Amino acid sequence: MNMRGQVHFDRIVKMHGNFSALKGIDFTIQPGEFFALLGPSGSGKSTTLRILAGLDMPTSGTVVIDGKDVTALDAKDRDVAMVFQSYALYPHMTVFENIAFPLEMAKVGKAEIEPAVREAARKVKIDHLLDRKPGQLSGGQQQRCALARAIVRKARLFLLDEPLSNLDAKLRLETRIELKKLQRSLGVTAVYVTHDQEEAMTLADRMAVFMEGQIQQIGRPSEVFAKPNSVDVAAFIGSPPMNLIEGRYADGHVEIEGHRLRTSHQIAGSRNVIVGIRPGAMRLEAGGLPATVDLVEDLGDTAVLDLTLGGATLRARVSDGPVPKEGQAVSVTARPEDIHLFDATTRKRL
Amino acid sequence: MAKSLAAEPAGLGRVMSPSGTDYSRALAVRERRFATALLAPAFLALMATTTFPLLYLIWTSVHRMDLAMPFADGFVGFDNYRELLQDSRFWASLAVSLIYTGTTVVLQVVIGLALALLVMGMKRGQGLFRIIAILPVVLSPAVVGMVWRTFMLAPEFGIVDYFAIMAGLGSQNWLGDPTLALVSVVVIHTWQWTPFAFMVLLASLAALPDDIYEAARIDRASAWQRFKRITLPLLRPAIVMVIIMRTMVALTAFAAIFTVTGGGPGTATEILNLYAYRKSFTELSIGYGSALAVALLIVTVLISAVLFAVRRAR
Repeated sequence: MNMRGQVHFDRIVKMHGNFSALKGIDFTIQPGEFFALLGPSGSGKSTTLRILAGLDMPTSGTVVIDGKDVTALDAKDRDVAMVFQSYALYPHMTVFENIAFPLEMAKVGKAEIEPAVREAARKVKIDHLLDRKPGQLSGGQQQRCALARAIVRKARLFLLDEPLSNLDAKLRLETRIELKKLQRSLGVTAVYVTHDQEEAMTLADRMAVFMEGQIQQIGRPSEVFAKPNSVDVAAFIGSPPMNLIEGRYADGHVEIEGHRLRTSHQIAGSRNVIVGIRPGAMRLEAGGLPATVDLVEDLGDTAVLDLTLGGATLRARVSDGPVPKEGQAVSVTARPEDIHLFDATTRKRL
Repeated sequence: MAKSLAAEPAGLGRVMSPSGTDYSRALAVRERRFATALLAPAFLALMATTTFPLLYLIWTSVHRMDLAMPFADGFVGFDNYRELLQDSRFWASLAVSLIYTGTTVVLQVVIGLALALLVMGMKRGQGLFRIIAILPVVLSPAVVGMVWRTFMLAPEFGIVDYFAIMAGLGSQNWLGDPTLALVSVVVIHTWQWTPFAFMVLLASLAALPDDIYEAARIDRASAWQRFKRITLPLLRPAIVMVIIMRTMVALTAFAAIFTVTGGGPGTATEILNLYAYRKSFTELSIGYGSALAVALLIVTVLISAVLFAVRRAR
């Protein structure tokens, strides 16, 4: 693996007039890492990527790539490759010319360009389409052409701005897998923007969760999933999202709607909390919280139940045992270690 | 399959066909007649105002029709055209036409494109610039010619001459010197019509997507490379269209030159169109003038054909 492609963001702020799109972003990406910027639209993840690419300038803060301050450098001087959400292929050039373009700009000799283009096209399986124009390609083929144009240069950073969002569901899954293989085989640092938490979870080595211009949490996907550090992250990660109910903690138990559940958390004193339980961690067992089944979504191998518990609505995913009928009264519980606790006022993890 | 399809509507067929198909055919005929009736007035007006005069022009061009000597009038076959090929003034005017067209069109496209690129880069005042730029286009060419002749180019008093004196070039006889006169009419035409090229190219530039320029920056293309490799090829259809439209207009230009120099001094600014006019209405030799006009038509059609072929290529 090459050791190029280390990225460091230091207190990056981006203002659009009076609106602060980024409110101080700090993170470090290690060489060869697949790093995802995850967040809902408008959270600042694309702005972050554009600042990293050099397409936009930050209002303040420093961008460092491979130990060198590149904050003032234009995109063309940063040696980064990027795949745009819209693909941004040059419409008047053939696929071959599109892929060759970055090499021509780098004054690579004609004799080297041809094999390099064919190799890149072969890697993304479009080597039979080299004579076509982008307008004659399907969405998936255009996407591959954009990928080939980005990998042909062997840049130190590989930036991807929601590259799969314009593909249909089946193609998105296939391309996702290929993308991961491609990144591994190239050994290049990849920064990947997405609003789809499933994409980030499956692709990324580490990810940063963006909310309203700030990073809420950085970590390995499994860590972020297992230990979301705030209510907002907990609500964003996971599908269906985590159940979040107001309750009260007192000596090893949480009280929800007048019923008690044991938790493995040990906190001094008693306090108001937000209790989080993932739908998949909910169990239909006697001796838990009494609830009524409102709706059953049968997904074949699993079923998602909408439950009413006093004034709260909970969701539970059950994969074994008989699926209850709608209207049926059930008892739900969760293992003590599956119960997440967040402070009711700061909304941070306890 | 075919059988079942055929069998299915059999019951309906008793009601619908064969009278059903006859009915729809009758309806189609009636609709076509109605459409023809609607089109007829416009079609006839067009025929009367364009096709008929054109045919009449060609008819006149194979006649001797001399208002000064009406007794000599009559059919002369291709005599006018034979005379035309021997006529050095025809060749001279054709040359002036081509020089005038070539220079004005190139200048309009180059200056128009430069202005469009400049205005695209402006953060404010684009709208104002567009309005100011469009003003020359809405003026009548005859008025433009008069304005230039009196206010701009008049020796001693004209603005251009004033600046020439200021610059130490001395007062010039802008419209009296053959070379300067040709330069002047070229400048006037360019001044009036560059805004057209500017507007068309600005609209095309504005329609180019931003993301491919960002991709080009990522691909390490310099500003000049982005212009040469992306902007120019993508603007090509618009540029060719501007060239075609401006060429046709420049070849048949008339009013501005007529009011500024009248084709003079001598025949220095006499484009083919003006020569045909002078021959027909000053020398009253309408038959020969018509032949000149037909020659201009042929030249225009040939050049347009070449330009349209260029447009289709690639």
